[in-house]
Amino acid sequence: MTESDAGWRAGLRLGVGLGAATFALALSFGAFAVTAGWHPLVVVLMSAMVLSGSAQFALVTAMTGAGGAITGVAAAALANARFIPMSVATAASLHGGWLRRGIEGQTIVDASWVSAQRPDGSFDREKLFGATFVQWPAWILGTAAGAYLVPSPETVHAIGLDVVFPGFFLVLLIDALREHRRLLAIAAAAAVLGAVGVLWLPAGAALLLASAAAGIELVRRPGGDPA
Amino acid sequence: MTASLTVQLLAIAALAVINIFYKGLAPAVLGDREFSPRVTAVLIAFGPALLAGLLVVEVLGAGWRDIDATVLPGLAAVAALRWRGVNPLLCIVAGVALTVAARSLV
Repeated sequence: MTESDAGWRAGLRLGVGLGAATFALALSFGAFAVTAGWHPLVVVLMSAMVLSGSAQFALVTAMTGAGGAITGVAAAALANARFIPMSVATAASLHGGWLRRGIEGQTIVDASWVSAQRPDGSFDREKLFGATFVQWPAWILGTAAGAYLVPSPETVHAIGLDVVFPGFFLVLLIDALREHRRLLAIAAAAAVLGAVGVLWLPAGAALLLASAAAGIELVRRPGGDPA
Repeated sequence: MTASLTVQLLAIAALAVINIFYKGLAPAVLGDREFSPRVTAVLIAFGPALLAGLLVVEVLGAGWRDIDATVLPGLAAVAALRWRGVNPLLCIVAGVALTVAARSLV
């Protein structure tokens, strides 16, 4: 990894690209929540405090349907349960005593986490911080734009905005697989588990099921990537 | 029927607190503890597994209700271009352009 790939600057640079995807998703979330009857200001506040698209969509969906607040919070909490193993993986790379580490752990979001992971499994904490610090305001601003402009789902669909977020996940996945080609089988297994899981399970549970594919490494013979 | 403002704010606050625990408890408790090589291998694999799962769940949606074949050419272009090392933002722009084109044909 070159010097330009590491640290705060790399994280901030990375965050700009990720922030564009984040803004696009936040735009659709803001519009979705307001259409579901939530006040725009409350929606923006949610994005500022929660910073998680999957959980926020789950909360609004559940509380708009037959379920109440408890169902909504439970659904959202399940959607974000993946942050537990992510924070376990990151723990050793953070600095300071228990309070500082707990605070630094708040910068964990999907794309920043994946991008900050080094080949040896440790994390570039400054890159993590930089990437998240750009995405957080992008998430809030995108939500505000969606909540107050309320673009219709048809408009979002017509201009292809719904492809931006999965597109960025795909870019990150391709980058990870180029680094570790031996993980292609695990990614494929995760995709199958996720596809089957989301057919019957809530999105959060399906994500946990997909992530469990990483457990294949517990029984697999250790080996390096092909040259 | 939408929940009252108070209930919405309480739900947001509860979720925010849950997130704080999710993200902060392990770093606070584990400190700089190192893991065995096998556990480290699992943690390295967790990223691609999570990304693949996020992709599939995002594209298919709960109960596969969100399936939209018009996103496939765009996502295929993103994957192919990125594998060749093209700039991520250009990959996304190409993906969006192909998706819009596919939708104009449908």
